[in-house]
Amino acid sequence: MTFDLNALQADYPLLFEGLLVTLRIVGYSIVFGAIGSVVLCMGKLSGKGPGYRVAVFIIDFFRTIPEVVLIFWVYSCLPLLFGLRMSAEVSGVVALSLFVAANVAEILRAGILSTDRGQLEAAFSLGTPVTTIWRRIVLPPALRRMLPNFVNFLTELLKASSLLSTIGVAEMVYQATVLGNETFAYLEFLTAVAVLYFLLIFPLSLYVRYAEGRHTKRISR
Amino acid sequence: MTLNAGSEVIRCTDVVKRFGDFLALDHVSTSVHAGEVVCVIGPSGSGKSTLLRTMNGLETIDSGEIDILNHRLPGPRRELETIRRRVGMVFQNFNLFNHMSVRDNLVLAPMSARKTPRAEADASAEKLLARVGIAEQIDKYPAQLSGGQQQRVAIARALAMQPEIMLFDEPTSALDPEMVNEVLDVMRDLARAGMTMVVVTHEMGFAREVGDRILFMADGQLLVDAPPETFFTAPSDERQKTFLSKVL
Amino acid sequence: MGLFDELIEASGGRYIRAGLTMLLVGAVVLGLLSVNWPIVKGLDFAVLWQFRWALLQGLVMTLLLTAAAAACGIFFGTLLAILTQVPFAPARWFAIGYVELFRNTPILVQVLWIHFALPLVSGVNTSAVVSGVIAIVLQASAYFGEIVRSGIRAVPPGYWEASDALGIPRTTRWRRVVLPPAFRIMIPPFVNMTISFFKASAILTVLQVGELMTVSTRIANAVFKPIEILTVAALIYFVFGYAISQSTHWLERSLAKREGR
Ligand SMILES: Nc1ncnc2c1ncn2[C@@H]1O[C@H](COP(=O)(O)OP(=O)(O)OP(=O)(O)O)[C@@H](O)[C@H]1O
Ligand SMILES: [Mg+2]
Repeated sequence: MTFDLNALQADYPLLFEGLLVTLRIVGYSIVFGAIGSVVLCMGKLSGKGPGYRVAVFIIDFFRTIPEVVLIFWVYSCLPLLFGLRMSAEVSGVVALSLFVAANVAEILRAGILSTDRGQLEAAFSLGTPVTTIWRRIVLPPALRRMLPNFVNFLTELLKASSLLSTIGVAEMVYQATVLGNETFAYLEFLTAVAVLYFLLIFPLSLYVRYAEGRHTKRISR
Repeated sequence: MTLNAGSEVIRCTDVVKRFGDFLALDHVSTSVHAGEVVCVIGPSGSGKSTLLRTMNGLETIDSGEIDILNHRLPGPRRELETIRRRVGMVFQNFNLFNHMSVRDNLVLAPMSARKTPRAEADASAEKLLARVGIAEQIDKYPAQLSGGQQQRVAIARALAMQPEIMLFDEPTSALDPEMVNEVLDVMRDLARAGMTMVVVTHEMGFAREVGDRILFMADGQLLVDAPPETFFTAPSDERQKTFLSKVL
Repeated sequence: MGLFDELIEASGGRYIRAGLTMLLVGAVVLGLLSVNWPIVKGLDFAVLWQFRWALLQGLVMTLLLTAAAAACGIFFGTLLAILTQVPFAPARWFAIGYVELFRNTPILVQVLWIHFALPLVSGVNTSAVVSGVIAIVLQASAYFGEIVRSGIRAVPPGYWEASDALGIPRTTRWRRVVLPPAFRIMIPPFVNMTISFFKASAILTVLQVGELMTVSTRIANAVFKPIEILTVAALIYFVFGYAISQSTHWLERSLAKREGR
């Protein structure tokens, strides 16, 4: 059997619909996850107390369990436990938001803690107010340092979103497998989604590599 | 400045600082009077930086007392901030805010901590940079300056808060030799203008010429406190003699 | 007290802590109020004991897949990394293209492609387990290869120059001078990557390869007890994943001891 582009001709709009679903879910999870990540990050930075311990556990837990397990758990257990009705897509957003919150919290924390001690010493020795220290001295360089990590995580998130096909969210991979099952043109559809993912992710990876290369150069200078 | 010449502005009493089991400051007592220039010298690891850093609360102490400008350390957080605004500090590695222009480095603290209006802070920044001899660099970023220029910016930045005391921690140690003097000149001018200064330094010539008193530290202890002439010509302590024989 | 602690405290650390505690209490109360109590009361964890051997088998399969990914990944990854350094350009392009292809597409797509599309091209049908192992090893080689590559680049240039200056033969240079410090630098990323593949092994559940997640979902569907089984499965994954992550410290310490530090 050979690659047959005609197989794609009729059904490619469904793949693009899948792409839009992927992007929409990723977008929502970033928004909700970002809110969660700030709370978790504050919890972990606060250094002691129940909030700290719970934040540390949540971060470790959701960074360590496989994303598929998280997705299945949210999809099949959460509605039962709370007597809710949740569509697959909502479950997917909930699961990925937890995934984002835990990972971004860790990126934020690491970025903030990598602030040069000397900068803090200087700021303190001038008697700079704490809000100014955060706003002008800690956060701007920290966020800039974190940017490659954020983008790198975004590539992970895009890849993880493909797992939502396992609970029937109609994103790209789901569309491809359904179309594959219908037409037996697995080769064409699966290759097409692979190409779409590559086009989506590769530029981000290139940026990460470029940014990190620049960073190491700056350090070794 | 605003202080009566000769009044006591810093007093350390039996200050002890530990890092784990390591005794970094071993019952250090001393005092500094307004207008004085006190130079602290001693071998590496003897606790000079630590002593200096306790004087604006960058390092907490385990026992003893430190009185700065009539405030007691350790004290409440608000007071600590007040003290730090009145005590300037210059670091070995400059610690300029690299992501800000020279101007922003100078105006950030006055504008946020003292609510100085922008125009006034700007004018004062320009004046201070002129005073340390780099007025034309005001819109550059720290990375575009030489080490000596960066350190002079750091001094100007500390002065922008109009401190009553200046602390210097080996301000010339990270500099290439040809840049040492431009920084020492600025410090010399500052001393001449009556600034109270505590200077940790390895520049014996500067200590001898500018210092009113020399403190010698070793192993966390303050061993000698003497005027420069006595200190350099009539050493009284064994470790001081060894140290001087190595550096002079 | 470090400067950062001081910054946190000065930023109202105790109010943040109090706020977070209140948030926590609020979340717990809300959870308790809205939880479906009949379901919670009906939870029956005994079912796990009934299926303990199946679950254990699944766990063993997961760990085997993880070990295969790590071992093959390091081996083929090192070969790939060396390929990216050879003077023969097509070999370099192949290595780089391979790594980029596998790093920039989701493993799920690779798994599906290898199981469903590849047989159409190759004419050889592979069983689910074989497809799964192929997919995970191929991807692991790409990811580990990338780590090895940057690890080699992180070896100080002085090491290469010194071994040139001493006239050390090429293989000795690789074996004794370059690779040992490179592998040392690579320990933390190796461990992280091993965790990634421990997690990725669960994705093979789409092919039902019999690892822990496959087993768990099968049991959960058969006896319709998803909460008990999936929750415990998640905890098992957490415990083992956490144990792997903690092995970094242990590995680094034992290496440091060997080098007499
Ligand atoms: N944060 C810290 N944690 C642990 N030990 C420290 C810390 N800061 C300083 N020390 C130790 O305390 C001792 C005194 O340090 P300090 O920096 O005051 O020495 P110094 O006299 O300034 O030396 P140098 O001339 O090298 O700057 C040193 O042995 C140092 O290792
Ligand atoms: Mg020092």
